[in-house]
Amino acid sequence: MIKINNLNFGYSKGKLLFKNMSMQLSAGHIYGLLGKNGAGKSSLLKNLAGLVYAQSGTMDVMGYDPAKRQPALLQQICFIPEEFYLPSVKIDAFVKANAAFYPDFDHAYFTALLAEFDIPVTQKLINMSYGQKKKVIIAFGLATQAKLVIMDEPTNGLDIPSKAQFRKIMASVLTEDRCIIISTHQVRDLDNLIDTVIMLDESSIALKASVEEITNKLCFKRVKELDETVIYSEPSLAGFNAVLQNYHQEDSKLDIELLFNAVLAEKNKLKPIFN
Amino acid sequence: MNNTFSIHRFSLLLKRQWLEFGKIYLITLAVVLGVIITFYGFATWSTIAENYPFSERLLHFREPLFLIFGFLFITVIASSYFAHLGQKPKAIIDLMIPASTFEKFLTGILFTAVLSTISFLVIFYLTDLAFVSKLRSMYHSTSPVSAEESTHAVDSIRYFFSKNNPGEFKSIFVLTPFFVTSLFLLGSIYFNRFHYIKTAISLMIFSGIWTFIIVKAGQALFEGRISVNHGNGNMDDRKFWVELAVFSLMLLLTAIVWSITYVRLKEKEV
Repeated sequence: MIKINNLNFGYSKGKLLFKNMSMQLSAGHIYGLLGKNGAGKSSLLKNLAGLVYAQSGTMDVMGYDPAKRQPALLQQICFIPEEFYLPSVKIDAFVKANAAFYPDFDHAYFTALLAEFDIPVTQKLINMSYGQKKKVIIAFGLATQAKLVIMDEPTNGLDIPSKAQFRKIMASVLTEDRCIIISTHQVRDLDNLIDTVIMLDESSIALKASVEEITNKLCFKRVKELDETVIYSEPSLAGFNAVLQNYHQEDSKLDIELLFNAVLAEKNKLKPIFN
Repeated sequence: MNNTFSIHRFSLLLKRQWLEFGKIYLITLAVVLGVIITFYGFATWSTIAENYPFSERLLHFREPLFLIFGFLFITVIASSYFAHLGQKPKAIIDLMIPASTFEKFLTGILFTAVLSTISFLVIFYLTDLAFVSKLRSMYHSTSPVSAEESTHAVDSIRYFFSKNNPGEFKSIFVLTPFFVTSLFLLGSIYFNRFHYIKTAISLMIFSGIWTFIIVKAGQALFEGRISVNHGNGNMDDRKFWVELAVFSLMLLLTAIVWSITYVRLKEKEV
């Protein structure tokens, strides 16, 4: 669905954010895009949506070049930005003005999502809280039935019940022809939701692997003492939370936060395992 | 699917833009109407309400009001049209709307050059019609004027657009709002903040440089020479060529500015 080839991108000519980045993303997956502040998560999403232009390299999104901003592609992209603006109108007026641009827009599904998110439909969008607005924009985006769903920090501003609702809804919208990319700092919000992890660090992709591949190759567990098999560890109350190479094919649950810190701290040890 | 232009998408975009832009637009129009009525009210109040004698000078405010306020109105509207693209949260939503850049650009032209000009003309025309009709109903609208050979009557309480109906250079008058709004529309997408001020300052600097070059070039070319009148010149014919030349230059400049605006919109990044 998405092919990125030798992408070079930066906001200034002297300093590139991505150097020769190449990657392929397929339909039927929920990708979790992780990285430190300034690693380029939002910029990568904007490149995919055609909101910024790369210095060089090619990008193919469903057969289109996103930089051309063609309506045929835009109809198939649902982009939920971190910062957004909604006009001073009620939800039905907003839908009336925008939904017609999306030929597959599902009004019934939109209404159902609003009900699930407990949104007051008679209220003007401008008078809603940030979290409520975010839920409206998420509901609208998903109701467009777009094939590519891009979300930048979607859980920011959502309360605890809404985060659970969000995870439930996102798990239910994944279909074989849909690709979902979620960028977030709040890795716990992606627990049990994503099936592939993409980590950005130092102008490139530090890790791109499915959850299955990660748990096959690495083991996440609590240990009392550290030895040479431990790749990365963090002290905890009863010893250490550690990442180890999974020599004995042990079953363990992916700890995204631990993995994230391990990738940043021990990139050289992890690279050979995944290459 | 045609990814450049579709009537369906274009009409959807017009509706959507009206939802975003319409309320502010109507409020601005109401302010414009209020200001025009205030000017007419101040000028004619003593004549209409207190039966003071009518003087033709009472209506002399109309020309500067039409020109200055009309210029301000259409340029403010044009200068605010793409202004929101300077704000990241608004720009993302707008650029991601499934319509082509050409359709978005064309909507901008329609709202700024066509709709704002027509609505200003209509508002000015209706206000003038109301006040001048009242004056005409109260006073004789004709006064005798002595010409060399005869005495004839002229209409002294004339409607603005019948008094100022340009007999010649009509095409230039029609094109002027397109040219002016094209410059401010470009300013609205070129600058991220303070669009109006920055556009106005840029235009002043550009006009200053342009005038300086023209004056200096004229001095260099014609210094020490005098113009010779060959006679037999047909003034009507000359006016036609002058009109054609000015019209063509304005049309060319408008097309160039629109093209730059289109490219800026196409290359707009967030």
